[in-house]
Amino acid sequence: MNLNLRRGLPTRRDPGQKRIIGMSALVTGALMVIVCQLWYLQVLEGGRFQEASDKNRIRIRPIAAPRGILFDRNGAPLVDNRPAFTLSLIPREMERDPLRRDATLGRLAALIRIPYQELRDAIAKTSPDSFLPVRIRRNLSMEEMQKVEEWKLELPGVIIEVEPQRVYPNSRFAAHLLGYVREASDDQLKQGRYRRGDMVGQSGLERLLDEFLRGKDGGERIEVDAMGRPMRLIQSTEPNPGAQVVTTIDRRIQEAAEKAMEGHAGAVVVMDPRNGDVLAMVSTPAFQIDRFTGSIDREWWLKIMKDPEFPLLNRTIQSQYAPGSIFKIVVAAAGLQEKTLTPADRTYCNGEFQLGTSTFRDWKREGHGTVDTLDAMRHSCNVFFYQAGLKIGGAAITKYASAFGFGQPTGIDLGTEKFGLVPQPRARGRRGAPAFQAGDIINMSIGQGRLLVTPMQVARFMAAVANGGVLWKPRLVQRIERPERGVVWSDSGTVTGHVVLNPAVWAFLRQSLWAVVNDEGTGRGARIPGLDIAGKTGTAQTIANSRSDRGQDHAWFASFAPVKDPEVVVVVLVERGGKGGQIAAPIARKILNAIFFEKVAAAEILG
Amino acid sequence: MTVLGGIDRRLLQNVDWPLLGAMLGLVILSATTLASLHVGRTGGSVALRQLAWFALGLLALIIVVSIDYRRLVRLAPMFYILGLAGLAAVFVVGRTVSGARRWILIGPMSVQPSEIFKICFVLMATWVLTSRWAQPVGKVTVALTVPVLAVPALLIVKQPDLGTALLLFPVLAALLVGAGIRLRLLGGLALAGLAALPLVWFAALRDYQRERILVFLDPFRDPLGSAYNVIQAKIAIGSGQLLGKGVAGATQSRLAFLPERHTDFIFAVFAETWGFVGCLVLLTCYALLLLRGFDIAASTREPVGRLVALGVTALFATQVLVNVGMVVGLLPVVGVPLPLMSYGGTSMLVSLTALGLLLSVRMRQFQ
Repeated sequence: MNLNLRRGLPTRRDPGQKRIIGMSALVTGALMVIVCQLWYLQVLEGGRFQEASDKNRIRIRPIAAPRGILFDRNGAPLVDNRPAFTLSLIPREMERDPLRRDATLGRLAALIRIPYQELRDAIAKTSPDSFLPVRIRRNLSMEEMQKVEEWKLELPGVIIEVEPQRVYPNSRFAAHLLGYVREASDDQLKQGRYRRGDMVGQSGLERLLDEFLRGKDGGERIEVDAMGRPMRLIQSTEPNPGAQVVTTIDRRIQEAAEKAMEGHAGAVVVMDPRNGDVLAMVSTPAFQIDRFTGSIDREWWLKIMKDPEFPLLNRTIQSQYAPGSIFKIVVAAAGLQEKTLTPADRTYCNGEFQLGTSTFRDWKREGHGTVDTLDAMRHSCNVFFYQAGLKIGGAAITKYASAFGFGQPTGIDLGTEKFGLVPQPRARGRRGAPAFQAGDIINMSIGQGRLLVTPMQVARFMAAVANGGVLWKPRLVQRIERPERGVVWSDSGTVTGHVVLNPAVWAFLRQSLWAVVNDEGTGRGARIPGLDIAGKTGTAQTIANSRSDRGQDHAWFASFAPVKDPEVVVVVLVERGGKGGQIAAPIARKILNAIFFEKVAAAEILG
Repeated sequence: MTVLGGIDRRLLQNVDWPLLGAMLGLVILSATTLASLHVGRTGGSVALRQLAWFALGLLALIIVVSIDYRRLVRLAPMFYILGLAGLAAVFVVGRTVSGARRWILIGPMSVQPSEIFKICFVLMATWVLTSRWAQPVGKVTVALTVPVLAVPALLIVKQPDLGTALLLFPVLAALLVGAGIRLRLLGGLALAGLAALPLVWFAALRDYQRERILVFLDPFRDPLGSAYNVIQAKIAIGSGQLLGKGVAGATQSRLAFLPERHTDFIFAVFAETWGFVGCLVLLTCYALLLLRGFDIAASTREPVGRLVALGVTALFATQVLVNVGMVVGLLPVVGVPLPLMSYGGTSMLVSLTALGLLLSVRMRQFQ
């Protein structure tokens, strides 16, 4: 056969056939290489490619869970959700050509006035292969949304999503109490509890209760084709809305208190002395809570941070002030209980008090004349209390101050609370035992010196005066409910201490505080005919008196009503407001009026 | 029938049934794969059109078989010139599809002259190599083949259709080897070709062609742009695993992640659907077809028949290896269809005509 073939080739004797066999061997070898590659791709790496194939065809479309709603004590919402338009980019669906993609971003930047660089940065953070929408701006206006929809064809990869977003009764409503909600920051993402774009409570109750309020996002698993068109729904999980929180706040009182504080910097706390419920909590100036929600522009954030009024500060618990004359209640309680002071003690006040070489003045230059203990409370006579304080002694005063909860946190569930300060005896000299110096005692007797309190501490203290000595932990949250599981958390109130005083002492304190408001006392500005209000004014001297325009004193007014069976405690602090009786008392009056009379009016209308 | 009248009984005894069997098997696999794809709006119409072209191709095959291939080779210069005219016509009346002028409309059909030219080239190269000016085979022979290759290659590259132009080189190389060129001379030519590569890179290649080669070297260079095909094809093939996903489960193909899935990348569709085992069956069909081709060439004593058989086999082998090699990621992406599998009328017609030549040589082997 072989020989025959060779003979059959007339031109050359051999090589052709061998060469052709060689070529066929080459081709067979190449086919074997292909089989090896197929073995590698399909058998060795098959699982990995299977995953890649699933990743290709299956999209997970997250559905944001609506955040839980915060209600006031009567079931009125303090904050609600509404659908908001969010502008997002889907990197995978954008132009692949970088130049054309940048053109799209440029068009978008011009259309809704977002800095171009911001868009670039947002895209740069994610893989261009990602199908997950990158949120650019939340809370688009109707107009912006329409513009984007009009230009839709020129904006590939740009979408508008509808997501639930926080909405507030008004721009600054209970800003410090509620707190703002914003996308998880980079630091929070590092903790691993959140995903990019998650809305997280960043302050106030929103932060405290974030775990409950957040809910669980749902999602859809969709099979899509290469163009990203959905072909089939594989699986769908409904979002699980966040829990509903019933707070102790009374929205009506909160609104009234905010209105009463308009134009003043300061704080208001309204508390129920029977259980420690916080009915209103106002800190002014407040920040615009709705502008903090969603995305916030840098410039505005910096403006807020640099504001000399510190609008982010929650003055009810994060600011400390000298209590001023409000503290005379503690001094009187200490003296009367320790029997170093009696209601019948009398002093002649000529407007100043001499101790060694120092002169301590009364706030009233000409003096109050002869005053007894009740008069001293009523007119807030300093000279009387200088002498009483020296008789009572520093140790007794600080003991009762501590018993009333000063110098200790109230335990309110908002975190970052200031503790205040009750002075301790100072050691003078190397060997001398710690002891209060007379000057320190004199300052402390009228609530000055090193003494520091927060408005919330004053409210708790006033509640104890009103209810006969029970110190309640201020309660903000009554219960948390989940739609399908009922109450998942509740707080029935916590008593943190008792102040034991002789009933006669309590009666005297109430009587004298009633007189402050109703019997030509310093607190007469709070008087409301038909309502028995008890209260005490305070004027806390500020150290920085140098700045003439702002060098006024802080004005305090702490009150409760009705005197018999007190229902509410109202504490008002106005920073640099001047005299407590002139500034703070009328604000408290407005609030008390709203609580007791506007409610009645409403009830009458309903009746 | 006058056409069949030209085939005497002795010829029919020498019909290569394994070759025809392999061919038929491949066409059936092609039609079923196309039917599973639902390209366009009317589901299986692509598969039916492919079968219609197959029927037309069978007719061409029978005509070619009935004519002595020596007569066809004698007419090679005419076919070659007609082929060149077709290539040139593309620039005048050609239809542009996705940036390339490759098609001419003839009545309702669009024809791809570069496909048809492949056969003209095999015939012409054979004619030149067996002509008396080419004897003995040496440098002069090579010099004679240069214009035969260069003119159409340039025309085809201009379309642009780099893949088809590149195919001509290995086919000519195989023919030269078969004609008995000294291997040292061929090696020298190959080295010269390699040396010319940088020139080709900068002068002849277009940007997208360069990009394809860069992407071959580094697929994740641009995963959504030019590397998209390569990556998606790899995912399709790999996810087929050992036994395949079946027609319903082949999501890469069915959901159109795979581009060119009914033409150049049909092998990936098949691999996803039928897995490694299916691929072995398919490649066995091709191996059978190619080995029969080489065997026919080797066992033909007559030089013209040997070169025709070798040229046709080399043409098939190059297309199969380049296409499958590209789809499985062993070679850069060039637009070469998989003969008998890829959808395309001209390609099917040309493949069957070529097989007709092969059968014709086989049947007249012992005359």
